[in-house]
Amino acid sequence: MSESQTQADVTIDSRGAGCPGPLMDLIGKIKSADPGTVFELQTTDSSSKNDVPEWVEKANHEVLEIVDHDDYWSIFVEKS
Amino acid sequence: MTTGYAIVLASGELERIMAVSNIAAVAAASEVPVDIFATMEGLEAFDRQTVADRSWEGGPIAEAMLSHGDVEVPLFTESFERAKELGPLSLYACELSMDLMDRTLSDYVDLFDDVLGVSGFLTKAQDKQVIFV
Repeated sequence: MSESQTQADVTIDSRGAGCPGPLMDLIGKIKSADPGTVFELQTTDSSSKNDVPEWVEKANHEVLEIVDHDDYWSIFVEKS
Repeated sequence: MTTGYAIVLASGELERIMAVSNIAAVAAASEVPVDIFATMEGLEAFDRQTVADRSWEGGPIAEAMLSHGDVEVPLFTESFERAKELGPLSLYACELSMDLMDRTLSDYVDLFDDVLGVSGFLTKAQDKQVIFV
């Protein structure tokens, strides 16, 4: 388990949701956010750990950090 | 150059419909245009009573999706509805299938943009990559 060094503006709790629920939650929020907004996407879905960064890169946003909390992950994303 | 996906959904198997809804939802939410042509048993899966009764055909994966357990999996109707709010996703009902079953669009859940024949769908699909499910 590790602690985050990143401060999020918006926390999205998608724990318990299967793929692609967490990604859809992130997309839904990030579209209407201002550039520079930092999101913490919380997920228990291991595939989202790989799938979300893939989408983030393609959408030209930035993954700042992925934190493993043992029973879930926090994926920190900054909107470009 | 293709500008999105045109998906022919002909299967009534829940796991196939769920796969289509998941892929289409992420694509549309990413601003990739998606047109879905629901035909044959794939259209009947959208019947209001079928959706209310959750009475789709399917294998073990479909059963696992419906029984939930520890993982929440949104139903394809929810995924399509959400995706339509987020991006360019359109659903079309096959006119032939509706005629065969003596249906109107009101018999299906409120997701369809229009009724189309084959020519209409091919026109929509001409600049897209076609996927048949």
